[in-house]
Amino acid sequence: MANTQYDADVIVVGSGVIGSLAAHDLARHGKAVILLEAGPRVPRWKIVESFRTCANVSANNGNRNQPYPNEPWAPSSFTPGYIESTGPVDYIPGMLRLVGGTTWHWGGACWRNLPNDFKLKSLYGVGRDWPIGYDDLEPWYYRAEVEMGVSGSDSDDYSGHGGASYPPRKQPYPVRPQALSYYSQRFKERVAEGGYHFTYQPNGRATDPYDGRPACVGNNDCSPICPIGAQYSGDRHATKAERAGARLIPNAVAYKLEKGPDGKKIVAVHYKNPKGESTRLTARYVIVAAHALETPRLLLMSEVANSSGQVGRNLMDHNAFSMVLLADEPLWSGRGPVQQGDILNWRDGAFRARHGAIRHEIGNFVGNVPITERLLSQGVIGPELDRQIRHMAARWTPLSSNIEMLPEPGNRVALSSTRKDALGLPTMTVHYDVNDYVRAAGEVVKQDYANFQKLLGAEVFDKNVAVWENRDHPMGTVIMGTDPKDSVVNHECRTFDHDNLFLATTGVMPASAANNPTMTGCALALRSAAIIRQEL
Amino acid sequence: MTNRIFRLGLGLLLAGLASSALAAATPDAALAPRGAYVARAADCAACHTAPGGKPYAGGYAIASPLGAIYATNITPSKNAGIGNWSEAQFARAVREGVAADGHRLYPAMPYAEYSGMTDEDVHALYAYLITQVAPVDKAPTQRTQLGFPYNLRSLMAGWNLLFLDRQRNTPAAGASPQLARGRYLVDVLGHCGSCHTPRNLFMASDRGAYLAGGDVDGWHAPNLTSDPVSGIGGWSEDELAGFLRNGHAPGKAQAAGGMAEAVEHSLRYLSDDDLHAIAAYLKSVPAKARPGQTQPAYTFGQTAERAYDFDNAQSATTLAAIGKARAAAADVEAQRSNVAGVTDGAILFDSACASCHQPSGSGTADHYYPSLFHNTVTGAATPNNLVMAILRGVSRQGADGAAFMPGFAGDMDDGQVAAVANFVAAHFGNPALTVTAGEVAQLRVGGPAPAIQRAMPWLMGGAILVVLLAIALAARLVRRKRSP
Repeated sequence: MANTQYDADVIVVGSGVIGSLAAHDLARHGKAVILLEAGPRVPRWKIVESFRTCANVSANNGNRNQPYPNEPWAPSSFTPGYIESTGPVDYIPGMLRLVGGTTWHWGGACWRNLPNDFKLKSLYGVGRDWPIGYDDLEPWYYRAEVEMGVSGSDSDDYSGHGGASYPPRKQPYPVRPQALSYYSQRFKERVAEGGYHFTYQPNGRATDPYDGRPACVGNNDCSPICPIGAQYSGDRHATKAERAGARLIPNAVAYKLEKGPDGKKIVAVHYKNPKGESTRLTARYVIVAAHALETPRLLLMSEVANSSGQVGRNLMDHNAFSMVLLADEPLWSGRGPVQQGDILNWRDGAFRARHGAIRHEIGNFVGNVPITERLLSQGVIGPELDRQIRHMAARWTPLSSNIEMLPEPGNRVALSSTRKDALGLPTMTVHYDVNDYVRAAGEVVKQDYANFQKLLGAEVFDKNVAVWENRDHPMGTVIMGTDPKDSVVNHECRTFDHDNLFLATTGVMPASAANNPTMTGCALALRSAAIIRQEL
Repeated sequence: MTNRIFRLGLGLLLAGLASSALAAATPDAALAPRGAYVARAADCAACHTAPGGKPYAGGYAIASPLGAIYATNITPSKNAGIGNWSEAQFARAVREGVAADGHRLYPAMPYAEYSGMTDEDVHALYAYLITQVAPVDKAPTQRTQLGFPYNLRSLMAGWNLLFLDRQRNTPAAGASPQLARGRYLVDVLGHCGSCHTPRNLFMASDRGAYLAGGDVDGWHAPNLTSDPVSGIGGWSEDELAGFLRNGHAPGKAQAAGGMAEAVEHSLRYLSDDDLHAIAAYLKSVPAKARPGQTQPAYTFGQTAERAYDFDNAQSATTLAAIGKARAAAADVEAQRSNVAGVTDGAILFDSACASCHQPSGSGTADHYYPSLFHNTVTGAATPNNLVMAILRGVSRQGADGAAFMPGFAGDMDDGQVAAVANFVAAHFGNPALTVTAGEVAQLRVGGPAPAIQRAMPWLMGGAILVVLLAIALAARLVRRKRSP
């Protein structure tokens, strides 16, 4: 309950999906919660309008941060100089700074990890084991799926082997799957001949109206902005937390976690407003849920939670190649959501001793813009231009292949020693490389690409199997483990150094797998919130 | 204490007056299916089942201009519900608004309408609730607490004397069985008039304006009389029945607010015969025109050819307006966080509405998203329902599927809601329909206060007694007049 000794029971730093879910859970149970957000609050319609008036930001290329707020005190990630990439592989993920966070422009994929993802070391001799397993997280995955209205298949084998329903669920998905588009159906049939299993991608889009969201009707603009809000985004629970009694403060840039005299507890959070004026807030517990890059930045600025020296290290993402095919038949991609399914044949198996898991995501985009640009650059005009646009757009088949990475301390985000942001706070540098475990999987991707091309009787429109792309899925930067010497948080996501400081971010994940990490972050955060509730 | 004695005395008196033909007997489970249907048609669950709560366990807050009235637990629980009530006590609560312990119900419980319920239906309803509903041994946590003087439930005795018609359902002479059934469903079980008939100074139905349209919590419940302009005279019987079943009639209207709840909880379950009986009866209700209204609301606007196609006249007009507005507001448009600065209805329409309703206002070809033209909301004589749909959205389950529109109350200020409503009315609906930010502010909180609330400061103090005396006198006069 609210008390006079502290400003709140719990301060949550960051109003993205993970922080907002935790804040909502605590507020709903009567706890006094303050939710700090560095960026401003903007309604969906304003973002839609910005999207329509800014330069071309098609879903699969361009700067997807562009329609979003980018304030001097809360720059989004592509603001030049804000994140400086210094390693051999360029790494700057999409990241937004506003109430609701980066799920405003995600693709809505809502994966559970597989049981084996939690024990890579003991099964395959690589990476790290988690201190918890799938069964520990299963009820929390479900809670997160209900909160977010996740649609999934109760019959698909998400281990990618074309078998029975997997991983095990105690409850069915709360939202039924959407019907497969013609494109998805045909793709599924064509690649099945080569032994590839197409599975329906679990996602946060409402198949039927759900908790204040309309049903998805296939605007095919999930990213950068679902124009109708059928797709879940973090602002939903930021608002729900507020309605449950939490105090949401936008434009509040947390810059310092203050330690108590003995250093064992965090006693206050300091934030600056856009004018640079500072406010100190006290609480019994602090949850930092500020994204996998901004969370270590705040810990490093505050010089807390880093007795292991691992804060900011072990940065992982899904390293990716991509290809666009023009199939030998019209498939009509672009009807329905921008992604509807995956090929998971390489999601798990003994091969993980040698190379990373692979998830081929089947894009469902409209190709007209890149097609037209290509044709115009080739001098095609007039009726022939129209004819070729129609021909190619009908056959457009984009693939994106996400590869698992292992945690390595050398891949890291750190504070810049030379640059500062508008509030005088150090910006970030990122050193990133991919090792042989990833590169070996890259060779498998190339082989699969040749197979897909053959199975679809396709021409290649575009193919990148040389430059490592990332998928805005940062993990590992405040890594979870059993040993305080090599890990930042324990299995509860509680920092080893400060027993009232919890981290709610995909940064805690000690294994990347090949699937989007958001749901795992959400499940962990709801679990942490329940632990905090019991202690309060 | 005095109050309690007064209440008790009055209760006993009324109990004596009440018909007590219902015998105390064990409820007959065989009647339960009929009782379940009566419960549907009377829409008991809409109020007595809270959203997400156990069936009939109460707790739903009925928004009244005088404060929230919480529906009670009517499960057969012996300590928290009606498990200890005899059928006669149950009948008295349903038809006369007096609970088993003698306390008076507020007319949020439509006992004035249910007073016409047949003995057979009350009997079946009681059998259903007692034998089929799972008892919930927990009373709703929230209790009705209206402010003074409305907290004096005994005042309702006076109200009842004046407004409670104790006649059981009697078909009008010469009415066909279908019309008689329709009238029973409309007046008694469906209690349509509790929204669609305006309320008088004392919050009772204004009998002189039967089904001529009323205002409820900001929404306007439309005129259901047979008037071809103001009412449903221009609707076919099939259109009316389809609307009641599905919650929408293409090219006419869609249900929102309280009507969406009525469709979702009650009307979609009724038999085709009953829906047609309702439709036939409504078409027989004497016309009551709205002064000054010359064109039916659903006839405004031009049909756009080729839904989805931007290349038609309606789209071109809208897109031109949007382009012009954007050019004039280029600086605001470039500021990603500038929300309050967007004041133009065309820009707001483009960003908040057009993704579903389309630039042409045509909605979708299958009517999943309704058109904004040929729509009673945009062609209405008052802006209430247009503004309320924008503020609170639409949520409805009909027989043919779900409908949902998000509300923008949290995302737009009063001026922005007014701007987008005016743009929609001007481009797709009744061009004479306009709304101000001030009116939006009032609708945001449920519409203007009713006359009784506005007048109450003047009535407070000793004046209340005078009014009550006047009510009692008036009631006697009315009763005398009615007696043959």
